[in-house]
Amino acid sequence: MPDFALRLSGVTKRFGTHTAVDHLDLEVPRGSIYGLLGPNGSGKTTTIRMVMGILHPDDGSVELFGSDPGETRRRRVGYLPEERGLYRKMKVLDLLSFMGEIRGVAPVEGRRRAGDWLDRLGIGDWADRKVEDLSKGMQQKVQFVATVLHRPELLILDEPFSGLDPINQDVLEEIVREFHQKGTTILFSTHLMDQAERLCQRVCLISRARKVLDGDLRDLKRAESRGVLAVGFEGSDAWLDGPEVIAREPVGEDLHLVLAEGADPQQILRRGVEAAATIRRFELVEPRLHEIFVQHAGAAASGDGGLPRDADLGGGVR
Amino acid sequence: MNGAVWAVIKREYLQRVRSRWFLIATIAGPLLLIGLIAAPILLANRGEERERTLTIVDRTGVLYDRVAPRLAEAGYTVQPSPGDAAELDRLTESVREGSLGGFLELDEATLTRGEFVMHAHEAPSPVRTLTIRQAVVQTALEARLGGSTEDVRALLSGGNIEVDVLSVGPGGLEDATFVAAYLGAFLLYMSVLFYAVAVMRSVLEEKTSRIVEVVLSSMRPYELMLGKILGVGAVGLTQFAIWIVSATVIFSVGAPALLAARPDFISPETLAGALPGLGYAFLFAAYFVGGYFIYSGLYAAVGATCNTDEEAQQAQMPVVMLLVVPIIFVTQVIQDPQATLSVALSFIPFFTPILMFARAAVGGASALEVALSMVLMAATVMAVAWVAGRIYKVGILMAGKRPTLPEILRWVREA
Repeated sequence: MPDFALRLSGVTKRFGTHTAVDHLDLEVPRGSIYGLLGPNGSGKTTTIRMVMGILHPDDGSVELFGSDPGETRRRRVGYLPEERGLYRKMKVLDLLSFMGEIRGVAPVEGRRRAGDWLDRLGIGDWADRKVEDLSKGMQQKVQFVATVLHRPELLILDEPFSGLDPINQDVLEEIVREFHQKGTTILFSTHLMDQAERLCQRVCLISRARKVLDGDLRDLKRAESRGVLAVGFEGSDAWLDGPEVIAREPVGEDLHLVLAEGADPQQILRRGVEAAATIRRFELVEPRLHEIFVQHAGAAASGDGGLPRDADLGGGVR
Repeated sequence: MNGAVWAVIKREYLQRVRSRWFLIATIAGPLLLIGLIAAPILLANRGEERERTLTIVDRTGVLYDRVAPRLAEAGYTVQPSPGDAAELDRLTESVREGSLGGFLELDEATLTRGEFVMHAHEAPSPVRTLTIRQAVVQTALEARLGGSTEDVRALLSGGNIEVDVLSVGPGGLEDATFVAAYLGAFLLYMSVLFYAVAVMRSVLEEKTSRIVEVVLSSMRPYELMLGKILGVGAVGLTQFAIWIVSATVIFSVGAPALLAARPDFISPETLAGALPGLGYAFLFAAYFVGGYFIYSGLYAAVGATCNTDEEAQQAQMPVVMLLVVPIIFVTQVIQDPQATLSVALSFIPFFTPILMFARAAVGGASALEVALSMVLMAATVMAVAWVAGRIYKVGILMAGKRPTLPEILRWVREA
């Protein structure tokens, strides 16, 4: 039996009449990098909050390291919430020492580790400054240090890349890989499919509270390889319109078309020939994660539309 | 106690004790005391010699011989003056240039209505005016009544009522006790409110900054609330301890200086009586702890149901009312600690910390009543902690609009 760091079975959460998470099953094997993907409002944060014990599922169960979660087990988790927050009036080092201490790291040891991390992230000089004096980017780094200070076995990062500039996104990506190499299990949620594609071994795609796809990224791509058509052409694109095409997206010089299930690319080609289009390229390609998602969740859910950002919180009462 | 709770206590405590306001408040308290003691001493010494020389122009012919010894007794150097026009000019001149503290003109009006004029180099202090007026008016009365000096003096000083309380404890209602009880009750109100509001702000900060999500992944909500309340409360106790120690030092050094400078101002016995003792300090500490636990719990719950400072300002009103009611009644309770109303109010747990303290401080509550009130207070602390803990637990993670009262009640039932 495989060893799971985290397992959700049939987890459901409702806020009033709105179902935020609907019978979600999720198994995160130890040592994996797992992406929880979906547009804003699809239930990612609610799911993570249930894992962290901030919300309680109405139905289903959460298992952490093989049994029911409790404070002791949660202390082995490093949790970076989507909405970042720190004690603004505290000095950086005091704050980090406190965050370590509540998860069982002795203050002296916590300060030492925090100092090392701050140096590594290039903000060592700020250790004795108050959090409110730091720039937003520096605060994000401090928050990340607070998340990993106690050397968690499982890292749960909710939208970790949001608000980071490209350079720091790379820094974070590198650190996440490093933790992965050291054997830490990583679960992160994001609506940035490209990021997930670079980092994840396994992904779970959710849309509108339901899981649409789950599994090893390479397997998923292989299974989907018939679904995306790369076309390069000159002139009018009117011939592309048809029931076969769910969505289109420019990729470089070409256009990627996400095809409906069971669609026949020949139909499109025929229309192109009839329209006398100059076609440079007409090729089925390995889909990008984004395209897989669009195909499964439907074009409507692909954008940042759907539900408002905080719909999974929205004043609900449990 | 588990490590996480301890970390919270430590954080709340150190963050506050190291802060600037704590330093300011802690130093400002004793400084105020020093000021209160030093001011009269300084006033007494200021321009002593000059201001204490008085010339009296007595046109009645009967007052000078009697008023002179009185003023001499109060520390003035007095000389008579015939008061003809040339003499008045000379006196006016010396007062103006400052070689003479002042001169009084006593005439028929003084004898009949107690009115007289004082020409002074600068405006006299209220104490001086009072001393001089009393000396002159008493003398005028004596002259009119023609009785013995002692009787008139006793009558004029307002007589005396000897109060003998037969039911409870020792001690009547002396001024010093009254003041100590009143100030103590007021200080209790201020400090309970101050530190309870500090708890609310802390809860609100964690909620609005969302840091609570991370903290609560490592401990239970009630542990966080408890750690917070204990940490902030310890700051209050630290401040009191510093004040008590410095007050003791100030009084043991300052009081003798005061007594030496103004022997007529206050007697050593009165001063000793006015100083609160160990029992008073104990009562204060006990009712502070009880009151603080009750109100900090309520305030933590209020903080957890709000999202902004403005909301919290509004939401705390009912709790503030609970604290203000005893302050409205405190004078009445101190004046009549045995009245049915006083007794009844002092046993309402939310009022107990202030009103029972006030009653006990004036000696108007029996030891049994005090003990009973403490038991009731402890029970209330538990009840508040239970209810507030449930509201806190749900509210702290809740975003969106402020919950209505029925919603809050549902949290309490279901949490």
